[in-house]
Amino acid sequence: MAALRDGDFAALQILLKAPSKDAVRQLCQECFSSPPAALGPLAQRAGPGLAVSAEEAEQLVSALHNLTRHVVYRGLSRAEDILCLFPENFHQNLKNLLTKIILDNISAWRNEAQASQISLPRLVDMDWRVDIKTSSDSIVRMAVPTCLLQLKIQEDAALCGNNPVVSALTMELSKETLDTMLEGLGRIRDQLSAVANK
Amino acid sequence: ATEKIRLIPQDFFAELCEQIIQHMNRKIPGINTVDLCQRIQTSGVDINIGDLAKIANTLSFLFSTAARNNLSTEELVTTLGSGVSMLPKHAVQVIRHVWNEQGKAIAVSEDARDMATVGQFVDMKWKLGVAMSSDSCRSLKYPYVTVTLTVADPSGQITDKSFEMTVPQFKNFFRQFKEMASVLETV
Repeated sequence: MAALRDGDFAALQILLKAPSKDAVRQLCQECFSSPPAALGPLAQRAGPGLAVSAEEAEQLVSALHNLTRHVVYRGLSRAEDILCLFPENFHQNLKNLLTKIILDNISAWRNEAQASQISLPRLVDMDWRVDIKTSSDSIVRMAVPTCLLQLKIQEDAALCGNNPVVSALTMELSKETLDTMLEGLGRIRDQLSAVANK
Repeated sequence: ATEKIRLIPQDFFAELCEQIIQHMNRKIPGINTVDLCQRIQTSGVDINIGDLAKIANTLSFLFSTAARNNLSTEELVTTLGSGVSMLPKHAVQVIRHVWNEQGKAIAVSEDARDMATVGQFVDMKWKLGVAMSSDSCRSLKYPYVTVTLTVADPSGQITDKSFEMTVPQFKNFFRQFKEMASVLETV
């Protein structure tokens, strides 16, 4: 969890050397999305474009990461709240630019934070098919409808880094077991409506 | 893995055989190897779930072959003696006892469920939660549905699989199941 530090705002003024507003915007997005461990390499890539030393690039990238993550953590959504984070003597135009960039990205960033928080494995896909069993080695004639379901489940993204593991769970459901499932799901739906109405 | 059979204490081995026979008789939906393995480990025996699963499979195969060939208890014990020479005496005793008590009753059932080539759905447990806060967002209020599916794999062994869904995902999930049910009706 990033907290804003004293040196951060001084480091942010290095952005005044950026070639364009788009370059600033791009850097903000990369600094937010990057996990703390990947900030070093990001600074190495960004440094040359800004014509600053490696050390300054690192300070800048770290400060931008802290600022953007702090805003998302606090859930700030109004310009006034973001503007008043900056100290009095901060460069006015840069302050306005950064605030605008943050406001433009805030809801996408919030979604990104929610999607990458720790969780149980997530359901990513579901496929199903209805078959009829017509015969087998023990039963010559039958007409038993049966459902085949395959769920694709992705393990916790935070644990797998960039190579999430997706496992497939295949199962068969009869009419009875499908009804059991539907009953359970119906109860979840009822609870969701009850919670939504509160 | 069959060498590991000698590590399993007699009462746990008996419980495993009981569950296998009861599963074959459709009295229980599956064999709870995970739970059994944990209890065996707690008692101080060093065995892992993979080994226990292999042992359960071997025993299932043994019992189902014996059922199909209508073996008497003596015939079964003789087969054990000649084939698997490393079975410890207490294991043979348990198998003899379990087969004597329940072996003959194994239904050569005319049931479509015998054709298990994929896992069989056993049960679903669920939880509706709201994530209030996290290290990345102080105020989240993010609702999610957690589901645990209990599935018996083709060998009868039971495993649980848990996962999360967002609310829109859950609504889609529900809709798909309703569709499956209506297709199942009309087919």
